[in-house]
Amino acid sequence: MLKLDGVTKKFEGLVAVNNVNFQIEEGEIVGLIGPNGAGKTTLMNLISGTLKPTEGRIEFNGQDISGVAPYDVCHRGISRTYQIPRPFPDMTALMNVAVGVFCGKNRPNMSLSDAMLDASHFLEFVGLFGKRNMLARDLSLFDLRALELARALATTPKFILIDEVMAGLNQSEVTIAIRLIRKIVEEFHVTIMWIEHIMKIIMEATQRVVVLQYGEVLTSGLPEVVVNDPRVIEAYLGEKIA
Amino acid sequence: MVKIEHKRALLVFRFGDKKFEWPIETRYWRNPILGVAFLALLPVIFSSHPDILSLIATANIYACIAIPLAWQMTGIGRLNFGPQAFVGIGGFTAGLLSIHLGWGPWATFPIVIITGILFGLILSPLTNIAKGLYFSLVTLILPLIFLEITYYFGIFKGETGLFGIAPMISIGNIVAELIIANYFSLIMMVLFLFVVVKVFDSRIGLYSAAINDDEEVANNLGLNIKKWKIICFVVTSVMITLAGWFSAHYFGTFAGVTYLQLPFMLKILMIVMIGGRGDVYGAIYGAYFIVILEKVLTIFGTANYLLFPLILLILLFTLREGIYGIYRKHKYREYYPTIRVRKR
Ligand SMILES: Nc1ncnc2c1ncn2[C@@H]1O[C@H](COP(=O)(O)OP(=O)(O)O)[C@@H](O)[C@H]1O
Ligand SMILES: [Mg+2]
Repeated sequence: MLKLDGVTKKFEGLVAVNNVNFQIEEGEIVGLIGPNGAGKTTLMNLISGTLKPTEGRIEFNGQDISGVAPYDVCHRGISRTYQIPRPFPDMTALMNVAVGVFCGKNRPNMSLSDAMLDASHFLEFVGLFGKRNMLARDLSLFDLRALELARALATTPKFILIDEVMAGLNQSEVTIAIRLIRKIVEEFHVTIMWIEHIMKIIMEATQRVVVLQYGEVLTSGLPEVVVNDPRVIEAYLGEKIA
Repeated sequence: MVKIEHKRALLVFRFGDKKFEWPIETRYWRNPILGVAFLALLPVIFSSHPDILSLIATANIYACIAIPLAWQMTGIGRLNFGPQAFVGIGGFTAGLLSIHLGWGPWATFPIVIITGILFGLILSPLTNIAKGLYFSLVTLILPLIFLEITYYFGIFKGETGLFGIAPMISIGNIVAELIIANYFSLIMMVLFLFVVVKVFDSRIGLYSAAINDDEEVANNLGLNIKKWKIICFVVTSVMITLAGWFSAHYFGTFAGVTYLQLPFMLKILMIVMIGGRGDVYGAIYGAYFIVILEKVLTIFGTANYLLFPLILLILLFTLREGIYGIYRKHKYREYYPTIRVRKR
């Protein structure tokens, strides 16, 4: 489904992502882990079109999407969330999702009320229906993460990029969030690339893990194999893994 | 015969067995029809005061600039400090065509629109190239360059301005002409209001709000922001150009010194700020407020050059969300009751 071929991104001398090759098949939940500054978010920006790769090729469903404008990438079926939630702060939760409903695909004949109805279904799905008329800036961190998921789903994607949803959440919220993402996969049949800093969560929730360090792929494979790899343990040196 | 009762948020009139209800809760007060009816009465009431009629027209013209600007601010997510450049484009196009070719307002109208579209398109890449403060700076300089041009080329009559532009209407009766032209200004403002309110209530309003809040996110959600920013910029610029067209034909004169200099821009910005940023109805309150304030302050003679900006500055700092914002804030904080539909 998604194929990265020698993807490299340089920021004036700093190589943030270096010659990354991997592939994601339809229906997979792939975890992307690595220490802070490894280039995980940069890689996500490259896939979603926010940044242009310096070198390399990104293919989605056989089409080259490297350098395609972000809105076009979204129309082709890739949606994303942000590490630090970025809602539209002055719009209500419902409106936030409605933007995704309207813009995710070309829907010239959709009326505003149709979009609102659609949007409220997505909000209900993530458990935010009761807060649909609150301004996004007044929502809690956990609610914002759920809102971002709802907004990403509203664009009817085939592939979702999730960036550190768990950061800053407490134990019970983490459990709910994992359950929510599982439910997304069950009901919408989407493929997921899930970036996470904490390895424990990735171990529980994903089928395959790619480890990134200094912008390069260190190793990839089954979570329980990867977690015992000495190189990975070294990369996370000083941090508790599992 | 007539019975009036007060039921919670309703005022109920009983007239025989007919019943009329009028909601008195504040959130229903923004009734545009009432407001427009009130404004429509003004020219009749002041029909024998040409100076007040010209004030009303001025306020309507200001509103015709501020209303599209309210949409533009959100729709391109940037603060345009030079909307008066387009007022100038409209005014000079209409004025020059009228003086040199003898065209009336309805003949210059389509040409003004075309010129507006042309200049809108030429400048629209700015909405994608220049961000935040840079956009504001560039747009701030544009009308000043235009002003220099009007001084440099004799055809614009930079020092004195154009005069002898064909009036909006000529039927021989000066008082009637003045009142009819005044109604034209009101009609134009109401049309602008109608268009922008409709836009804000449509998906384009949602796009505008999204671009205003975070254009990068909007782009990632599948919104072609470049396209929509250009559309918004061109449409609003044409509307502002039409305000210039109207004022040229209404007053019969058009001078760069009046419209292209910084004080005029300050006035427009203040209207938008006092009305509340990005608020359409607020723009009208702001326009009338500024015009009245300016008139009242003339009794202080030359001191008003100091007083006017001073008062505006004070208002700007005390009313962050504008006059209208006091009421709007009240409305926004009224969240609907939160009902949890399903317990997890
Ligand atoms: N826009 C940018 N300009 C310059 N450097 C950047 C930019 N974005 C990220 N970087 C750098 O790239 C590296 C990788 O960052 P990031 O992808 O955010 O890491 P991660 O998400 O894995 O923690 C960091 O060293 C960061 O400073
Ligand atoms: Mg990151």
